Amino acid sequence: MTAALHIAATLRCDVLIIGAGGAALRCAAEVLEQMPGASVYALTKVSHPQKSHTSTAQGGLAAVDPRDPLDSTLFHMFDTWKGSDCTADQNVVKLICESAWEQILWLENRGMHFSRDREGRLSKRTFGGHTRNFGEASVYRAVFEADRTGKGIMDTSWGETLKNGIRFFNQCIAVELLIKDRRCGGCIAFKQKDGQFVKILAKATVIATGGSGQVFRVTTNCRQNTGDGLALALQAGLPIMDPEAVQFHPTGIVGPGILASETLRSVGGILRNRDLEPFMVNYAPKMKELAPRDLVARAIESEIREGRGIVNPDHNIPHVWIDLRHLSDDVHEKQIPEVSSFFKRYVNLDTKKDLCPVRPSNHYHMGGIPTNAFGEVQDGDQQIIGGLYAVGECAAASFHGFNRLGTNSILELITMGKLVAERLIPYIKEEYGKHQDIAGDRFAARFSTYMEATGSESVGLIRNAMRTMMTEKVSVFRTEKTMNEAIEDLAESYERAHRAPLACRDLAMNQELLNRWELDNLLMVAMAISQAALHRKESRGAHFRDDYPERKDEFNYHTLASMVSFPTVEIGRREIDMSLFAAGGEHHEKFDYIERKY
Amino acid sequence: MKTSYDLTLNIRRYDPYQNRTWVQTYQLEAGRIMRFVDLFRKINDEQDATLAWGSSCEHGQCGSCSVRINGKPMLACELLVENAVNEFGSTTFFIEPLPVASVVRDLVIDTDQAYARIDQVKPYIISPRQPAADGEAHQISPEELDRYVDATRCINCFCCSAACIASHDTFLGPNAMLAAIVRVMDPREDEKQQRLETIYSENGVYRCHSSQACSFVCPKEIDVAHFMALAKQGAITSS
Repeated sequence: MTAALHIAATLRCDVLIIGAGGAALRCAAEVLEQMPGASVYALTKVSHPQKSHTSTAQGGLAAVDPRDPLDSTLFHMFDTWKGSDCTADQNVVKLICESAWEQILWLENRGMHFSRDREGRLSKRTFGGHTRNFGEASVYRAVFEADRTGKGIMDTSWGETLKNGIRFFNQCIAVELLIKDRRCGGCIAFKQKDGQFVKILAKATVIATGGSGQVFRVTTNCRQNTGDGLALALQAGLPIMDPEAVQFHPTGIVGPGILASETLRSVGGILRNRDLEPFMVNYAPKMKELAPRDLVARAIESEIREGRGIVNPDHNIPHVWIDLRHLSDDVHEKQIPEVSSFFKRYVNLDTKKDLCPVRPSNHYHMGGIPTNAFGEVQDGDQQIIGGLYAVGECAAASFHGFNRLGTNSILELITMGKLVAERLIPYIKEEYGKHQDIAGDRFAARFSTYMEATGSESVGLIRNAMRTMMTEKVSVFRTEKTMNEAIEDLAESYERAHRAPLACRDLAMNQELLNRWELDNLLMVAMAISQAALHRKESRGAHFRDDYPERKDEFNYHTLASMVSFPTVEIGRREIDMSLFAAGGEHHEKFDYIERKY
Repeated sequence: MKTSYDLTLNIRRYDPYQNRTWVQTYQLEAGRIMRFVDLFRKINDEQDATLAWGSSCEHGQCGSCSVRINGKPMLACELLVENAVNEFGSTTFFIEPLPVASVVRDLVIDTDQAYARIDQVKPYIISPRQPAADGEAHQISPEELDRYVDATRCINCFCCSAACIASHDTFLGPNAMLAAIVRVMDPREDEKQQRLETIYSENGVYRCHSSQACSFVCPKEIDVAHFMALAKQGAITSS
């Protein structure tokens, strides 16, 4: 049985990227532009890079045009800091906001089809939390490609890497990181189509595996977002930073959970409860529907909890309405055509005539593999792992702190993707950047456990039960009791998973085997989320504790959660970077621990 | 209104180890707004964990879940049970992989093979035109963008390619043509000649029989045939 679990080949490249979404390919494109002829490999679990989750981002990219007379980079930094509930790292915020516009031009000059205004310039729209003069009024800061901005980024960066000679390994997963003496030498990968394990040695390895949304039942995330990169790091003894910081998008479409973009609210959509009352004014009097996501999500959840929700008869899921009926045909047809079509396609409703059902849906993981401002991965002692980088949703630098502003995520992909490339190029050129062959000694044991399991449990049923449980106990509202229950449940599920046999024991394109591997990843990430959330006895950004509803200064730090061995999680701390505040000067007081009120 | 349906799914399967293909029948009950991807998942969870199928975003943005249902190429994530029963007038469905590349297992095809045709037309700007000033975006009027923006919405699900009546051996396919046509019409591309040579090559747009099957099946409702017609008329140049 285990005979096939050997390494079939050893491959060598300059840069190995685990993932092929927006962050991965922006990074790859920069390496290939600056080092023509470099060998860059990108592995992706999906069937082609274009199928990555980045392609589904709708709304836009926040970036301050230096010629905009009303907006400034400083305001963008302030909004990001305030939105993060004072837990973003200010050095990272500064780097990303300052390089934003340059990256918009990079995309535009390479063919991204941004929407245009009458003069043919890039159109802009406003989003929740985008303000000028430190919260004074809304500002137009987001450029976009209709409601398919992520697709534009994906198509452009994929095209550029293809043009410059990247090598893709599609339907291929990384199953073990090769790390020794704080150096990373690459990974063991499993090529699903051939059913083969290969060792890939790289001078630099970049983890860019995206999110972990499948931990929850109602999620906007794609089927593939199972937290694989986070589990890979945990298994290698690395920590996850702020795993408890999970964002719930306020408006998922009831049923499939998919995203009804913030755009719906920015163009004037109104949230109403069962009595058709526009309730946001009771929660955020000034910003109303444009308040940041976590406030809107909790407002909706509160309405539902207090009996002012509506229950969808087909899905038996409670929700509120978003009312778009008063908007002009032009808005429906030009500004929200794809989101309108979602309601038509998935719940058979017409946004021009019908109220549409929405509810909070898991959306984004702010937490991730801890890195410094240049994407270099740190261990639990905050020492850098040489040659290992992380970027995109799986990483935490941290740009978003405990709550991400709309349009800041795909901005992070392209800015950090480029920064990581700039950082790793000198590394792979210097002496320490040579290939280092490290044995991969864990993957075979793991996979043979999967292949040889016996018993009567089912991987699918364990996964479904876990996702429902996490949605009930560790999502928009959290308490000590529910999280303790969750932790116990996860430990039991992990044990049960070992008694789930595979019906098919072939290696090639064995979806069941992949599901089993993903289940372990999901359980590990869910455990890290729950343990860290239990530890943080306060409310901060998207992490809301019913039993500790206020933010507390004693928790002004990042959580570092390491998995000693499942289910034991060790909690450490990392300081929040306050360099904008510490620099003094005009407006520095805006970057102190301020109140997050809209 | 019916709240649930008793369905019969006949699914074409393939086992690469035994090089065997067969049709397997699954019976299941499903609610009216369940989607076909939900049905596949239900089969995996309740009846047969070995059935392999593809999906990613599951809301029509990535094009990973395309299959043929009763002969029609479509995205399994977008087909509601209720709509399928109405469209086909039956509760029995025959589900096969797309015929645009070899099958890896069951409903999963070798996407790399299918994409090789897209790679051939170079889905990027070959020779970028310099913007008016350094550090600026190009100015493209909304009218000009409107001429080709619909073609940029293609997600490469290969439904058009599967429905196309031209041979896959000789024609690069409607979606590959779209990718090439976009950059001919895009004012930021300077390399028009090479693109026109591809479009009007042996494997290019003249292989198209104007059946308009591509437009008929496109899940993104792109009028693919319109762009084919523009190309045949030589009406795809940019300003």
